[in-house]
Amino acid sequence: MLARTAENLYWLGRYLERADNVARLADVNLAASTEQIAGTAADAWEAVIATLGAQEAYEAAQAQVQSQQGQHQQQAVALSGSSAVLSPAEFLIFSPQYPNSLVSTIGRARSLARESREYLSREVFEEINRLYLSTARASTQQQALPALYANVKRSVAAILGMFDNTVVLTEGREWFRVGLFLERADMTARIIDTKYFVLLPSLHDVGGPIDRYQWMAVLRSASALEAFRKEHRGPVTGRRVVSMLMFDRNFPRSLAFSVAALRRHFERATAETPDRRVVRAAREAALIELDLRSANADNVVSSGLHEFLDEYEARLNAIDLALQEDIFRARPAGTDGEPI
Amino acid sequence: MTSLFEGYEPGPGPDEMFAPGGVVRPAYRSFVDQMGRWDAETYVHRQDIADIETMNGGITFTVYSDDAGTERIFPFSLVPRIIAPSEWRRLEAGLQQRVTALNRFLTDIYSEQRCIRDGVVPAELVLDHPAYRSRMRGFTPPLGVYAHIAGIDLIRDSDGVFKVLEDNLRTPSGVSYVIENRRTMLNTVPDLFPAARVEPVDDYAEHLSEMAIAVRPDGVPADQVRTVILTPGAYNSAYFEHSFLARQMGVELVEGRDLVVDNNRVYLRATSGLERVDVIYRRVDDDFLDPLEFKPDSMLGVAGLVGAYVAGNVTIVNAIGTGVADDKTTYRFVPELIRYYLGEEPIIPNVDTYTGWREDDLEYMLEHLHELVLKPTDGSGGYGIIVGPQASKETLDAARLRVREEPRKWIAQPTLEFSTIPSFNGERLEPRRADLRPFIVTGESSWVLPGGLTRVAATRESYIVNSSQGGGSKDTWVLRAEPPGTDAEAGGA
Repeated sequence: MLARTAENLYWLGRYLERADNVARLADVNLAASTEQIAGTAADAWEAVIATLGAQEAYEAAQAQVQSQQGQHQQQAVALSGSSAVLSPAEFLIFSPQYPNSLVSTIGRARSLARESREYLSREVFEEINRLYLSTARASTQQQALPALYANVKRSVAAILGMFDNTVVLTEGREWFRVGLFLERADMTARIIDTKYFVLLPSLHDVGGPIDRYQWMAVLRSASALEAFRKEHRGPVTGRRVVSMLMFDRNFPRSLAFSVAALRRHFERATAETPDRRVVRAAREAALIELDLRSANADNVVSSGLHEFLDEYEARLNAIDLALQEDIFRARPAGTDGEPI
Repeated sequence: MTSLFEGYEPGPGPDEMFAPGGVVRPAYRSFVDQMGRWDAETYVHRQDIADIETMNGGITFTVYSDDAGTERIFPFSLVPRIIAPSEWRRLEAGLQQRVTALNRFLTDIYSEQRCIRDGVVPAELVLDHPAYRSRMRGFTPPLGVYAHIAGIDLIRDSDGVFKVLEDNLRTPSGVSYVIENRRTMLNTVPDLFPAARVEPVDDYAEHLSEMAIAVRPDGVPADQVRTVILTPGAYNSAYFEHSFLARQMGVELVEGRDLVVDNNRVYLRATSGLERVDVIYRRVDDDFLDPLEFKPDSMLGVAGLVGAYVAGNVTIVNAIGTGVADDKTTYRFVPELIRYYLGEEPIIPNVDTYTGWREDDLEYMLEHLHELVLKPTDGSGGYGIIVGPQASKETLDAARLRVREEPRKWIAQPTLEFSTIPSFNGERLEPRRADLRPFIVTGESSWVLPGGLTRVAATRESYIVNSSQGGGSKDTWVLRAEPPGTDAEAGGA
């Protein structure tokens, strides 16, 4: 298929999955900050921002807003009580400037869907378009946020279902899945990593109510709490959560599941692609899967979870780079002396 | 309840739905019976449903001047244009005749140039025309087809006669709205359709595919023709249509950067490597097709494409160089071209047009300028037009001087009144002027999509139906003949 369209579909999968994850993270955070169990509301938002790797972007956006307001105040009467800062929700959910905000992500997914519409079914395009129109018009009021998150989650789920049931099984559909599972493999790892290194309670809190609440929040972020209850009879502990979210091959949002699915769809997508274009990404994917198979919760936690996840993320990035360089934007044979 | 049609006042021109005296024309009877049960509230409700469907379907255009990302739908009216079977048969024959003659003309001017030798068309008009591609001289595309896809704009004048207003032979657009409008109508107002009597329009893409196979390059097996649609990109205002046609035909939608020419063959950059391309339905203008031949700074084209084309390795649809045949001045000569190439009288007449290229026309133009609309041939979008009946004596005198100086740069036409169709203005139905753009697809033979795009003006007073001026569109129904023994069919006007 057309390489540019394959790339579009790959990114469509990534952005839809990212939108879904941002909505779920924000939703869980909203509940946590409402109940005020896990520290302050600001702490909880901070965790979400850290998970998305958005600290610097957030600080820059805040500084920009502050300087704009500063200029404004010199010219006009200062508004009493107006806050100079950009709220985390304004930034993470609604900012058109921040590329990973919920509205930006959905906007980009919709542009990609528009550019590769001939590969999508009418149902899939219309649902993506509806999601875009409804979020673009969504109220930014605090009380409207839960409904917005619910809408995004339901809509993304509907799109995935429609993809399965209305899009012909072609290479394009496989590239969509490759993007989706690569993004999921990345996001779930970020969620685990954040809990460990941003939210890590002081030592005496480990195993206490705050620690447990936070691990439950991690499970909720990955829509995994109910699945956890079915699989594990005991209490929610860090080790068990890590075990499930990283190594459970039957849980659809785990690392093991996502990476296996990523490999499977990549193999199908490249069934007719010459080996020289495939080999680099295939090797990285095989190595990641091997890493996950040869580890378990006990040994990664004791030997360094963060280091393990760092290496894992590096491999995911290597796969993404290999896809860009070897397949999506490869110089065509013939133009650089190779036979056609 | 007040029926929608109560108190409807037709405009100054003929009304498509109502004959003088308020009698419903035969083609509209069944429709008026159904919609006559609606009041304004029903209409608004149904229109809302239709608009939401259109918005969700992404059948939108971007308003560049507004806030970023503002998208609008084209105004769409639930009252269709309805064409009686007998009238359509005549239009269909007339459109096929016209497109056949235009293709013969294009073949001729790029080969023997008989029409020039025989004095049917002035040599300079053709050979000095900016759209005449001398590079194409001596190359005849497969089957001698240049205008594979034509959109011919028609209006019904004050005598009730359909006339050709303009030929569009380069990359005519609008067909996606024809198909989407029908889909919207079937989904939102199925109750208005007379049972099984409206000609379907959704097989358009199949005719495109058949045409692509018919005009494939020599040596490509019919079952292995690789067709692509070439678009300028997602920011083009007609992108929706490009994408729509690719989906309907089941072919790839490509941009210039997705294609590469090697050894006079065109390839697609695919995930698996390079793949041969046989037919390119391009929605990019001639000038931008190939930076090696035309505009060197074009980012939209493919370097070497013209070479592959004249080598006969790829078919370009529509052919390069058709622009000379859909020009304002060439238009004046089309009736003569029909007589010359086909030995037939034109079935659909032109609007009376006078060109400074002809002595008799020029004389008439100068004498009757006060009752004509004078248009520069190189202008578009209404720039430089002088409306005789509204112009002062000084303006007319100045215009006469300019016409005498450069007679070939002007054409003149009478002021045109044309037919209206009832349209909803938010409160009630009112007459709106409308044109009709049927689409003709030519491969082995010419096929006419039943109906076409009906465009309507934005207000009761307006004569301009262009979407850029706020105009909207309507579904167009071509009725099938009634079963024998029922009400006799009759013309729409």
